[in-house]
Amino acid sequence: MKGRARRSEDVTETETLAPGPATDSWTRFEALYRTARDDVYSYVATLLRDPAAAEDVTALAFERAYRRRRTFDRRRGEERAWLFGIARNAALDELRRRRRLAALVADPEDTGLEPAEEGAEVALRRTAVRTALGALSAREREIVALKFHGGLSNGELARVLGVSESNAGTLVFRVMEKLRKACNETA
Amino acid sequence: MRRLDDTPIDPEIEACLDAIDATLAGEPVDPRHAELAELALLLADERPRPSAAFAAEMDARVARRFAAAPAPASSRGGGWTRPQRMFWSLGVAGGFVAALVVVVVVIGSLGSGTSSMSSSSLPTLGPVHGASAGAASTSSSGSGGSSSGSASASSAASSGESGNLDASPSSTATRSVAPPANGRKVVQSAELDLSAAPNRVDSVAQEVFNVVGTAGGIVDSSQVTQTGGLDGSASFQLRLPSASLGQTMSRLSDLPGARVVSRTDNSTDVNATYLSTQHALADAQTLRKALLGRLAAATTTTEIDSLKQQLSDAESKISAEQAALRGLNSKINYSRVTLVINAGQTAAPVHHSSGGFTIGHAAHVASRVLVVAAGVGLIALAVLVPLALVAALLAWAAYSLRRRRREHALDVA
Repeated sequence: MKGRARRSEDVTETETLAPGPATDSWTRFEALYRTARDDVYSYVATLLRDPAAAEDVTALAFERAYRRRRTFDRRRGEERAWLFGIARNAALDELRRRRRLAALVADPEDTGLEPAEEGAEVALRRTAVRTALGALSAREREIVALKFHGGLSNGELARVLGVSESNAGTLVFRVMEKLRKACNETA
Repeated sequence: MRRLDDTPIDPEIEACLDAIDATLAGEPVDPRHAELAELALLLADERPRPSAAFAAEMDARVARRFAAAPAPASSRGGGWTRPQRMFWSLGVAGGFVAALVVVVVVIGSLGSGTSSMSSSSLPTLGPVHGASAGAASTSSSGSGGSSSGSASASSAASSGESGNLDASPSSTATRSVAPPANGRKVVQSAELDLSAAPNRVDSVAQEVFNVVGTAGGIVDSSQVTQTGGLDGSASFQLRLPSASLGQTMSRLSDLPGARVVSRTDNSTDVNATYLSTQHALADAQTLRKALLGRLAAATTTTEIDSLKQQLSDAESKISAEQAALRGLNSKINYSRVTLVINAGQTAAPVHHSSGGFTIGHAAHVASRVLVVAAGVGLIALAVLVPLALVAALLAWAAYSLRRRRREHALDVA
């Protein structure tokens, strides 16, 4: 299974994530921030379905990661997985805190990114996907968020969730199958 | 979320996952996975993006290294500020130091108590230092009376609790109890019970012979049984010059590799007996002299025979009194000493401070300090290890509980 590297938008500097032996912890953290800021936000926003809360949780996650940057142990996984683990805990804490309000939380806002000139077929498909996404449970939605919005590889996803890589792949496949069936039914 | 078994992934599923990854990476995929690829792209397009304002704010906070940026109020609660962390760190460190001080004080007090107990119960040790050695020492004197002094080790101590087989004898010498030197005739005797390491009984016995020989004493009888075990023993019947009895007894009590288990000094005043024997001898000699005078003047056979008979009786009495006097002198001049050596463990000597600072004393103190420090460390470990285990257990339980609550929050979301 292939992984992929992404970079947060609007980040001008171009340091790589992989540090050399002499790179200090701050430089490593800064590089991690540049590559993962938008991914972490996307993951948290999909999980919480609340952009404002997602911003707070994302900020808190990076601040915690900064405070704990010296405790990072590469032998226990890559930095992205470590960062998403911190973000996940912060997001789940937020969910716990807002449990009574969870029922009132709305679907993600329309970000207005929908292409203006896409065809009707694509628009229908997009609507079907959104509907199917809204029908997913929080756990399933988290899989989608980690995989497609956080940009994690299956190995990183497995480390964040605490399962094996093959199990993580199976979880992704099941969610995709569920979404595909839901989209087809909608169509 | 149910944790799945870590079984090998199905090839078909793996192919689908590869297609998804390829799609997200912008690579072509197999046409049979076109629907999946389209779905993956649509999902990726649904990705929420942060606002420009948020991105700028985050960049600024990171540039400040979160220095002046407090955590969001809605999500705060898990972290401590630096002063709080410092406060708790200092509190924990202070508590640990206080606990250590308490342990040291308690150990110190226990240690001093043990020391005083051991000094009073240690065998012999310096035995007859008045009453401090725990020895029962009594003495009485008077005409025709007898006196005795004894120093004995406690039975517990005589078993050699410390197990030092090479105990230095220098401190185990007993002080001799001698009758006053006022010219009276006194018969002295002593009993000395020594303990030596099982493999040192014969060497200690040899030392006894050496000391007795040096002192001009006599070994009336001896029996040495060397087995190498705890049943080894030696016994001696000695006669030692009374004039140097105290000195010799001190040397016998001071034998290398042995320690005094008990010592008994006896004395009997025989002055009256001695004087009466002397008087009887003098009377008999006077009578003999008178009889010889009368015999020289005797004229009849009957008178001569009677005087000779009386003279014979007088001479017999003189011989008897002289023998009695020699016996008394022998007893007075040579004291009988019964010495027994039993195999056993010798106790560690108590080094009585000589008042000066010596290397040996310093080494002793240093070793004592090390022993106490090791003891303190051991007790601290005994206290801290269970506490650490309990703390680790609590931390693990808290972690598990928090994790379960988090997962539950995801389930009910």
